[in-house]
Amino acid sequence: MEKILTKKSFPLWVKELVSYKIYAPQKNGDLWNFETIKKPESINLDFPNTVLPPKNIIFPQREVLLEFESSNENKLQVKETLPDDDPTIIFGVRPCDAKALTLTDKVFSGDFKDPYYWKRRNSTVLIGLACNIPPSPNCFCLSVGGSPHSKEGLDILMTDLGDKYFVESLSEKGSTLINLAKPLFQQPKAADKKAVEKTQAEAEKKITRQIKDIKKIPSILKNMFDSPLWDEESLSCLRCGICTYLCPTCHCFDINDEVASSSPVKGKRVRTWDTCQFPDFTMHSSGHNPRPDRASRLRQRIFHKFQYFVERYQNYLCTGCGRCISKCPVGIDIIEVLDKVRDYGS
Amino acid sequence: MVNLDNLKKEANRILKEEKVKYIIGYKKSSNGLFTVPAFIKNPEEVEKLTWDPTCVYNLTRFLVDEKRKKAKEKEPDERPVGLIVKGCDSRALVVLLQEKFINRDDVYILGVSCEETGVLDEKKLAKTLKGKKVKNIEFGKNDNFVVTTKDGKTEIPAKEILAERCLECNANFPVISDILFGEKVKRKSDNPFESLEKFESLSKEERWTFWKEQLDKCIRCYACRSVCPMCYCDECVADTINFAVIAETTAEEKAQKIKWVEKSPVTSENFVYHLVRAIHLAGRCIDCGECERACPLDIPLRLLNKKLEKEAKELFGYEAGFDADVPSLVSSFKDEDPEDFIR
Amino acid sequence: MAEEFEPKIVAFLCKWCSSAGSDLAGVSRMEYPSNVVPITVMCSGSISPLYIFSAFNRGADGVLVSGCHPGDCHYIKGNFYARRRIALVKKLLDYIGLEPQRFQMSWVSAAEGKKYTQIIKDFVKELKPLGPQTKLRRNL
Ligand code: SF4
Ligand code: SF4
Ligand code: SF4
Ligand code: SF4
Ligand code: FES
Repeated sequence: MEKILTKKSFPLWVKELVSYKIYAPQKNGDLWNFETIKKPESINLDFPNTVLPPKNIIFPQREVLLEFESSNENKLQVKETLPDDDPTIIFGVRPCDAKALTLTDKVFSGDFKDPYYWKRRNSTVLIGLACNIPPSPNCFCLSVGGSPHSKEGLDILMTDLGDKYFVESLSEKGSTLINLAKPLFQQPKAADKKAVEKTQAEAEKKITRQIKDIKKIPSILKNMFDSPLWDEESLSCLRCGICTYLCPTCHCFDINDEVASSSPVKGKRVRTWDTCQFPDFTMHSSGHNPRPDRASRLRQRIFHKFQYFVERYQNYLCTGCGRCISKCPVGIDIIEVLDKVRDYGS
Repeated sequence: MVNLDNLKKEANRILKEEKVKYIIGYKKSSNGLFTVPAFIKNPEEVEKLTWDPTCVYNLTRFLVDEKRKKAKEKEPDERPVGLIVKGCDSRALVVLLQEKFINRDDVYILGVSCEETGVLDEKKLAKTLKGKKVKNIEFGKNDNFVVTTKDGKTEIPAKEILAERCLECNANFPVISDILFGEKVKRKSDNPFESLEKFESLSKEERWTFWKEQLDKCIRCYACRSVCPMCYCDECVADTINFAVIAETTAEEKAQKIKWVEKSPVTSENFVYHLVRAIHLAGRCIDCGECERACPLDIPLRLLNKKLEKEAKELFGYEAGFDADVPSLVSSFKDEDPEDFIR
Repeated sequence: MAEEFEPKIVAFLCKWCSSAGSDLAGVSRMEYPSNVVPITVMCSGSISPLYIFSAFNRGADGVLVSGCHPGDCHYIKGNFYARRRIALVKKLLDYIGLEPQRFQMSWVSAAEGKKYTQIIKDFVKELKPLGPQTKLRRNL
């Protein structure tokens, strides 16, 4: 379904959706992040990249998995705590961030379908916004099989056409939202479709960064486990969590018991984000650490994204959002690292 | 002004004469805009070294990695590391020397003076240029920065785009060095605690609301801790696993490890982390501003550390990073230390 | 009327003076409020700021650090170090917006059972109007 929605009507549409929990990019200081909105008029879709991708709405940094408590007879009662499945809408999802969710979908499926992830995922409608101008100077979605107007993973894609949006429904969930406010939407004219095509073509040209010959990378990497390159490239790495915590595709977690009382036993088992860039991520309880240094941790990040994941799921675990480049405090640049990997292979 | 050629000459000399293992300095990033830390091993690479207003990094931090690495080597190379330091970075070095974390002969210090300017605040620059892309930025005359954009060169008074900490810096040249580039001119800074005093004048509840809002943003990426040259502890109370664990550690000992802070990024836990960090940095933080710069969520961490810097000065007359031979703030006392708060 | 709020105080007492002082208050059957959870430490100088933050984190409404009078520390200088450290912690907690009344330090000798009871009485009195400490309290 393809429709036209004027910018004036946009808040009216949002008003019709109030039965949903609505997230949209909001500005706080100089930064943008996805937050629940208070008023339909407060959605401003003219935003650069959000610091955090919307992954934390589906896969929150802290998730309570279960609660435990010992009763009088000293028996441990365990209660599973699934998240609410309130119908949720996220406005302004960038195509790279939407694609990233299709990748984490793969991880949280398989033999064991993660109920916590899927409960949120299934109750959420993703309304994307095509990037007419790349929201970050480090965008490189085109290199990793995406595009500034990719529809992958989205329920609706909106394209800004000046005073109106071209609204494309891509799933039943999406159509439902449009049908809730049918009279607000118009049929697109031929000129509108032309305009969309033109905007999209121009948008692609504005993306300046790329990983050349990326197809070669996974096989080159296979022979690079012991390369001195990892030492070289990781010299300034600080072992912080920025590149991974801000990445829309990174999904590692830790599980801990948060014990409120030890007698009688009472507490919660929680899952929190974790990252391969922290030294204690791989620390064994014996004290041995198989990834003891910066080099092995950087290697892990690159291998997971461009080797292991490709072998297992036929996809790069990177959608080219550029966050890890823009926000690394010491300027470690994943594109540069991959350029060197490619050079190493030739 | 710092003469980059002289700096390179010296770098070249000490590498050629094999006086140092390698040099930690600044080089242009491959996209040519801002600098990144550079690890220069041989004289041929010296050409890469640069010095411009984007040299924000406190390279002293990398001595922590060097020490960790060296500790693992069977036959370590005992030569010093060449290290380029600004004023603030040199004071970090002094603290590391004072705490005997490093020895004086572990480093060969190449000092660069900021003179009347300093390094820039990337965000301020972006605002001043209103989205225009920067091609190059260098030190100019009369305390200006020369910024090149697609429309050519413009001079911007350094004051307008300097990092906040530089504006409040009262030691803008290295306090310790083996060789110094640039002049020892002292900046006329009016009030080193200006940004802080504005905040202190808020009411208690306003301050609480402010910090709660700020620290609630924290995602515990620990970039603030990782970038800080003073946060060199091998084990941090914020980590879940104790690095002091060895093969011989018993299960009981492991089980008894106190978990002071939960990993959950919620108000109470974020506060414990940040309060501990702040107090551990009292009398040690030299206001290089790296923690605040690194924070992806723009949490004003300087305001936290600056407060203790001010209290150390006012209550105990102590300033961090000037003298490696005095005892540190919390490992010393004076008889006349204030005690009017004690019952 | 709802039950009156009874603040919970965590008191870090040095073994040689303050803890002995509180014992004296106990054995002399002096009356004082039962709001205190005493934690005996070897010396006021051994109290890490982390203990204090942690006490507030686990729900203390007030925290007291108490050691020997200057000059009387069993380890000679421990309480002088503590004095400095605690001054900084106090400034920091005040700065982030915690009510300054919630964190106190005192000198109590082994003979000052009476002083100890008075300190606790005053502390409780000051904490009552503030209500429960929720700012730093863990609520997971
Ligand atoms: S963000 Fe940069 S410094 Fe931090 S862990 Fe990642 S690569 Fe290292
Ligand atoms: S690896 Fe970097 S560029 Fe790729 S998706 Fe993650 S944050 Fe974005
Ligand atoms: S706390 Fe921040 S400003 Fe202070 S020394 Fe560490 S990184 Fe620098
Ligand atoms: S850098 Fe910022 S977000 Fe990361 S742990 Fe520090 S304060 Fe929190
Ligand atoms: S032993 Fe009482 S304060 Fe040191």
